[in-house]
Amino acid sequence: MIRRINVFLILTSILMLVGVYMLKFSIEGTAAERTALQGFISEQEGQLSLLQADWAVLNQPAYIEPIVRRHQAELAIEQVRQEQFGAFEALPMRPAKPDTSALDALFEAIDNGIDPIDAILELEGID
Amino acid sequence: MAVIGDDFAPTISLDGGRKARGNLTQARIRWMILALVIGFALVGGRLVQLGFVETDQRIEGQARDVITATRPPILDRNGLEMAVDIRVPSLYAEPRRIVDIEEAVQKLRTVLPDIDENWLRNRLTGDRGFVWLKRELTPAIQDQVMRLGIPGVDFITESKRFYPAMNEAAHILGSTNVDNQGIAGIERHMDSESVALLQELGLARGNALTPVDLSVDMRVQHVMHDQLTDAMARYQAIAAAGVMVDIYTGEVIAMASLPDFNPNEPASALVKDTFNRITSGIFEPGSIFKTITIAGALDAGAVKITDDFDARYGIRFGRFTISDFHGKHRILSLPEVYKYSSNIGTIRVMQALGKENFRAFLSRMGFDKRVEFELPEMRLPTVPKDFSDVGAATASFGHGLSVSPLHMVTAYAALVNGGNYVPPTLYKRDIAEAEQHYTRVVQPQTSDLMRYLMRINAIEPGGSGSQMNKLALGYRVGGKTGTAEKVVDGRYSSSKVTNFFASAFPLDNPRYAMVILVDEPQKENPQSGTTAGWNAGQVTGRIIQRVAPMLGVAPDFSEILDHQLTPSVLR
Repeated sequence: MIRRINVFLILTSILMLVGVYMLKFSIEGTAAERTALQGFISEQEGQLSLLQADWAVLNQPAYIEPIVRRHQAELAIEQVRQEQFGAFEALPMRPAKPDTSALDALFEAIDNGIDPIDAILELEGID
Repeated sequence: MAVIGDDFAPTISLDGGRKARGNLTQARIRWMILALVIGFALVGGRLVQLGFVETDQRIEGQARDVITATRPPILDRNGLEMAVDIRVPSLYAEPRRIVDIEEAVQKLRTVLPDIDENWLRNRLTGDRGFVWLKRELTPAIQDQVMRLGIPGVDFITESKRFYPAMNEAAHILGSTNVDNQGIAGIERHMDSESVALLQELGLARGNALTPVDLSVDMRVQHVMHDQLTDAMARYQAIAAAGVMVDIYTGEVIAMASLPDFNPNEPASALVKDTFNRITSGIFEPGSIFKTITIAGALDAGAVKITDDFDARYGIRFGRFTISDFHGKHRILSLPEVYKYSSNIGTIRVMQALGKENFRAFLSRMGFDKRVEFELPEMRLPTVPKDFSDVGAATASFGHGLSVSPLHMVTAYAALVNGGNYVPPTLYKRDIAEAEQHYTRVVQPQTSDLMRYLMRINAIEPGGSGSQMNKLALGYRVGGKTGTAEKVVDGRYSSSKVTNFFASAFPLDNPRYAMVILVDEPQKENPQSGTTAGWNAGQVTGRIIQRVAPMLGVAPDFSEILDHQLTPSVLR
């Protein structure tokens, strides 16, 4: 009886030993994987920090203004003047009722083959 | 153990002749137990020993953690990055692992030719475990060095501070040294506050730090820097500086001082004359100080807005006679004294207040001490403790005392915001928070009168602020010029002047106060002059014209707004 127990225990301990070593090696593998991943992450973080710095540079007014100045003539842009600002209060009120006679005149003109918009476009030289 | 115990239990139940054999077994078991105990004791002892071993993580006397320590990003009030951390490789060597020193030296010098050969050879010779070779390199150089394949030479990733705005906010941000510690500006202040502690505790690792929000608006900062650069060239000035604050919260919206430096190259900050003129420059403020004198007299009730002052003749103090720059030689009303910047009139206003009261008012406005502010670069103002008669007279128009432009902008903010002195700050702060710092310095009625005076100086013909107003039409700006003559060889020189323009806008409902300084300007063209209206005033106008829409101030040309500023007694 005791011998059997002993054999059983010895076998178990051998199995446990094998198990422990297998666990040890697998953990070492995982640890190596983890180190590699950490290295990868920190490398990526490093690249990210560079990209963020790039982005911050590109967003600086000091970076954008020279570009705007370079294209000022080509794009016909100018610094905004005070007179160009408007306010909702400055808009005229909506007319109390639609100007029906003017509309009628417009439709009649179109029926007669005269398009006032076309005339304006021609006057402005736009096709 | 269990196996032995099982064996053992039946043995002791034996008796008689088997006893001898039993004793032998017992002895064997004791030896076994002893051996096991010793074995476990050895293992335990080794564990304890290992527990006491401290692995050396230090690199040349510094903890490895400190080198990779990060600083929180600094953002402007709209969330734009003003300072960020980037990861950069730094080259180090382990001399004890280097096989062929001569080969290593020659190879390294192919990639890094600016390293001195002898220095490098000395550095690599020896038995040390770690030496820096060159810190904060670029990834491209890292690649090239790696390709050389020298044993015992490797890289470590460090954090480096980077300022994407380059020079623009240099004096606000300051800079950091190679070990990532703040050495100037807000960086230094952050260290004294919290970051140093965080780094010491080991918490400032990785990118998880909460960003620091500054009160600065980078758009406004850019415009101010741009216009000051323009002013330096346009007026051939030796220096130019400006600061704008929110008058209710004390937040600094923009602050620039030229010549400046590039915080990405901290060595450029050591060049002469790059100091921050707003906080650590003290100047005789000149006529912008008249606003303070008049506010003090009006607040104490010593003069009224309707009073007249005799400015026909200069005022004599013993041998000296103080007269006006462009004298009108007639009796001036108080608004005219301000508008024509009459020295005589201002002295009479000060005399009505009394020189002791005037001195006390200066203390109340904070001109005795340093302004409470985050930047470490500050200088004490020099204001005499007691005024003589002539001292008080010159002080009333801003001579014989020196204060920083930051003092002036804080005082102007207090005079137009309803009379509350609020110390300026570089951190974001809302009005409720700022109100806890309020100190009442003048009555709200006085504040209303000061708004009126500043505005008429800009809109009425002959006012010294009219140059400025031409450029910033519609934004209801008002302000005061100051042309302070510099002392050259012990005498005031009329050719070398420091010019100021202190202003506030929009005056019907003021939000911002600004002080612009132009040092030793020349005439822009033969038709112009060197007084402050021509340079500091125009710079103010150009800045406001560009920044007002950004700050949500819409132009309004209706004259009713200006009429409403006029006090009822003058209508």
